[in-house]
Amino acid sequence: MSSANDVIIHVEGLGKIYEQGKPNEVKALDDVSIDILRGEIFGIIGLSGAGKSTLVRCINLLERPTSGRVSVDGNELTGLDPAGLRKARRKIGMIFQDFNLLEQSTALENVCFPLRISGSGRQDAEKRAGELLERVGLAGKEGSYPSQLSGGQKQRVAIARALASDPDVLLCDEAVSALDPTTTNQILELLQEINRDLGVTIVMITHEMKVIEKICSRVAILADNHIVESGNVSDVFRNPQTDAAKKLILPSGGVEPFDGSGRLLRLVFDGTTTDKPIVANMVLSCGEPVSIVAADTKQIDGKTFGQLIIQLPSAAGSAERMMAYLDSENISYTEETDV
Amino acid sequence: MFESKFLGLVITGFFETIYMTLAASLLAYMIGLPLGVFLSVSRPEGISPRPLLNKICGAVVNLLRSVPFVILLVAAIPLTRLITGTSVGSSATIVPLVIASFPIVARSVEASASSVRHGVIEAAQSMGATNMQIITKVILPEAVPSLITGAASSLITVLGFSAMAGVCGGGGLGSIVINYGYYRGETGIMYVLIVVLVLLVQIIQEAGARLSVRSDRNSKSSN
Repeated sequence: MSSANDVIIHVEGLGKIYEQGKPNEVKALDDVSIDILRGEIFGIIGLSGAGKSTLVRCINLLERPTSGRVSVDGNELTGLDPAGLRKARRKIGMIFQDFNLLEQSTALENVCFPLRISGSGRQDAEKRAGELLERVGLAGKEGSYPSQLSGGQKQRVAIARALASDPDVLLCDEAVSALDPTTTNQILELLQEINRDLGVTIVMITHEMKVIEKICSRVAILADNHIVESGNVSDVFRNPQTDAAKKLILPSGGVEPFDGSGRLLRLVFDGTTTDKPIVANMVLSCGEPVSIVAADTKQIDGKTFGQLIIQLPSAAGSAERMMAYLDSENISYTEETDV
Repeated sequence: MFESKFLGLVITGFFETIYMTLAASLLAYMIGLPLGVFLSVSRPEGISPRPLLNKICGAVVNLLRSVPFVILLVAAIPLTRLITGTSVGSSATIVPLVIASFPIVARSVEASASSVRHGVIEAAQSMGATNMQIITKVILPEAVPSLITGAASSLITVLGFSAMAGVCGGGGLGSIVINYGYYRGETGIMYVLIVVLVLLVQIIQEAGARLSVRSDRNSKSSN
């Protein structure tokens, strides 16, 4: 393992326009730049249509970007010839929402596929594939066809297949979106294990904040074809700067004051303050009621984060008194102005 | 009415028909299989887009498919003579049969190859597979059940064409029906042969359907 600040995926000024120059031209990505560090689990989140699938497909050039550059492990993919690109792709594993297994091949044959196409002998390939299937918890399923496996098992086969060529990077395109919550958690745990044990850098594309919260260390938020916000997951969660981030973090969507008046405050508590009755104390000390508009708690990096949107009384001075109280208690809050 | 001389005739005709159908189908697949795969992968959305060549090949295939077989049979006589030295008999008939059936085979293979899910092909690309590897290790194996169904229906088409070739001395069961049933008015043998042809078609159809289902690993009923 190299140093912690070692960039493995460098995306610079990436743009993708479909049907460029034609009347039905569609801009899918606009000037996207990201640095992903070796060994981390990096999340890219966005609502559907934000361009996140296009972005991940541009990382291994399944989609050729219209502009910009992509480098993986110091190798500039956008400058490679087809043979060089194929060789580079062997070090970039990818798993998909609908698994994309060979339906007419067994689990073992599926995992053998990347080994066989890179020239391994049948016996070596089968031995390694058997080990990988065991690694992902599918010992005994070698001879099963995908149609005989559950969704979670299929994704495990796909993970084993992606790991077969010892990749440095694993791209996950909505890898858990087709799975139920229990299976989702199991697959996320497996990915975390793989990241920890093998040091594989993982890029998670998802539309679900809970996936990011569960396993990612850093996150980029994609909205309207560009990155609107990025950083450590706990920072972005604690203090979302953009509408898109707020929408994703508090999935109830845009919050609205109950009666159209009164200022809205977003309070974020971390593990150290959630055991105090902050809101109740604030109401008691200020002598005026507040309305709770939305509330949510989350686990990020093993810490509990609570999030609350309250509507302050519209009476003159009371909002200021309450904010002063929160300041004195060291509670971070932001005013919601965009509702 | 069904005398022993007919029995020999029917047996000979039967084997001639089988021979023409199988030989012509085999040759048609030797041209049609690669052509069909090419038509599929060279589509604009395929793995190796070649829009112009795709259009040209598609146009040739469509042109050949739109010539009625009886006309093709006559029009191909010079070529048939050039290749086989004669224009009558079952071996000669194979030439027009191949010309008429390879475009049908090509379109059927194209449809099978194009039915393979794009995601599976994308996964292979993400693993660094070459286009040739994608064709031989992904598209064709994944399309096997569909290719078998297509092969059964192509065989049936060729069988039908081979019977039609009886009109101009093509040999096989078709010739017997024309010569005895039509020119001589011996309707008995004609009905017998119709039954034989219907049975043949049914056997091919049924065998194809069963093979296709048995080979398909993507259905829980199999294996």
